[in-house]
Amino acid sequence: MSKKLQTLIIEDEELARTLLRSYLKDHPDIEIIGECENGFDGVKAINEKKPDLVFLDIQMPKITGFEMIELLDHKPQIIFTTAYDQYALKAFELNAVDYLLKPFSKERMLMAIEKVIHHIHNAESNIEKLEELSNFRPGEAYIDRVVVKDRHKIHIITVDKIRYIESLDDYVMIYTQDGRHMKQKTMKYFETYLDPKNFIRIHRSFIVQVDNIAEIQQYEKDSYVVILKDKDKTKLKVSKTGYKKIKEVLHF
Amino acid sequence: MDHPLTNNYRLLIFYTLFWAIIGITNFILLVIWYNVPLIYALLDTSTTFILFPLMGSSIWYSIRYNSLEDVSAGSLILFHFIAASILCAIWISITYAIFKPFMDDGNQYLANSLPFKIFGGYVMYAVFLVFFYAVNYYQSLKEKIKKEAQYKTLLREAELQALKSQINPHFLFNSLNSISSLTVSNPEKAQEMVINLSTFMRYSLTHEQKEMVTFARELENIKLYLGIEKVRFGKKLNTEFVIDEHCLVAEIPNMILQPLFENAIKYGVYETTDQVTIKTTCRCEGNILKFTIVNDYDASSLQRKGEGIGLRNIRKRMQITYNQPDLIKIKDYKTSFEVQLIIPQKPTMS
Repeated sequence: MSKKLQTLIIEDEELARTLLRSYLKDHPDIEIIGECENGFDGVKAINEKKPDLVFLDIQMPKITGFEMIELLDHKPQIIFTTAYDQYALKAFELNAVDYLLKPFSKERMLMAIEKVIHHIHNAESNIEKLEELSNFRPGEAYIDRVVVKDRHKIHIITVDKIRYIESLDDYVMIYTQDGRHMKQKTMKYFETYLDPKNFIRIHRSFIVQVDNIAEIQQYEKDSYVVILKDKDKTKLKVSKTGYKKIKEVLHF
Repeated sequence: MDHPLTNNYRLLIFYTLFWAIIGITNFILLVIWYNVPLIYALLDTSTTFILFPLMGSSIWYSIRYNSLEDVSAGSLILFHFIAASILCAIWISITYAIFKPFMDDGNQYLANSLPFKIFGGYVMYAVFLVFFYAVNYYQSLKEKIKKEAQYKTLLREAELQALKSQINPHFLFNSLNSISSLTVSNPEKAQEMVINLSTFMRYSLTHEQKEMVTFARELENIKLYLGIEKVRFGKKLNTEFVIDEHCLVAEIPNMILQPLFENAIKYGVYETTDQVTIKTTCRCEGNILKFTIVNDYDASSLQRKGEGIGLRNIRKRMQITYNQPDLIKIKDYKTSFEVQLIIPQKPTMS
């Protein structure tokens, strides 16, 4: 290999980092360019330093390894590390991205690196695989937060703060009490992972939080609008199936 | 199923006495009132009130496997009529065989008494029937009550078992990873951690054996647990204990505290990058042990949804153990989370 792999370690536990460092110390193809203790710093470091390879822990404070992937502009090769997460393991099994189960041996880690080198040589991208993983929500059926990035700041939005979501081609705009955030995700994703007791897809372009609905008005025969509880009295179109769903959830 | 008369001493005495009293009365009447010769009265009485009840006790087996509920009334009556007829026939044949040597002397008493025995046999069969049905009913009822009690105990045990905390595999594997790292950088510390982890695991794995332990024992285990977690989290995890000395002898359900600390670490330490303090206070008030654990948490990254499975299990376990609701109190102060356990003590404790 002509050039060493620029490698970043993102791991919240000191001892786990120490171990990785000692495993990687003598590796001829690896150069450690940094270490991060949490997901926030991790996102920043990946986007700035653009490493070739990242060792990424899944359970971390603030945001998880999976959530981090959503926020990356630069997508490096990633080797996940995790102690025990039956849901995450399931995701990995469906996916060819390599992962290390803690505690792991040096040999096992070397195998993972071999795999990464092979990927890079064959110019195989793992972007699609990563996207797939980032759509995966381990553990719970519904998400309770969404992470977004505006310029250089990462926001964690707990779902109770979401007023409504609007579809914008490949993106969605998430409207919260404090403002709005753009995110590269599909409406389908939010429709699936937001609790349908609280969020209704009222239209192809809108998902609205039930508690935020002030009024439902008929404005033409067979068509309705929802008026939200805010000072602008935002009006959102309701489709026929959307109207049925509202009726179901609100029991009227 | 054993016969109740051979199995139950008191029942046997009752059955024997019952027929003995009637038999003796019959014997006295025969001798004094009817002037029946002693030998005939003895023969008559013993065949009727000793031999027949002995034979009658065999109908227990037919009753035992012919419960009243399973069979229709008609077939039951028919069954017992046939059984009564067979039993009477056998009985009278035996009686006749016994009487025969004595009938040769020309006295008609024994011969004349035989036809009456047919009627008497059916009546006595009915008495056996009532008696053994009553016995059977009583025994099944007793058995049922016993089984129900057994079942209830089993159910309670199973429920408690299910509610007891299991060691989180996540904790175990992360600790093992820390040890793996320490073997390279600090072998002595690694050894210490292996020992701590083993001691903790041993306590957790054997805790099924005893439902109640002293608070001191439980606290010791908690400190072990927190020690292991401190190796992992370093300065991020800070613990404080304010414990009343005389609480240490209190009795509490084993492994009831560990899930509380696990929760505090999961929601407090895991989700933040700052230092988190877990503060534990324990006081004794009268016959109550009040155990409070407070941890800081980062509300911005987490939407707490009140009670998770861990806390719900503790609530249930406390309710089953003490048969009292609301022994766990949860308060969310938005930047910190408080769980209080109220553990009743036996009144003898001061």
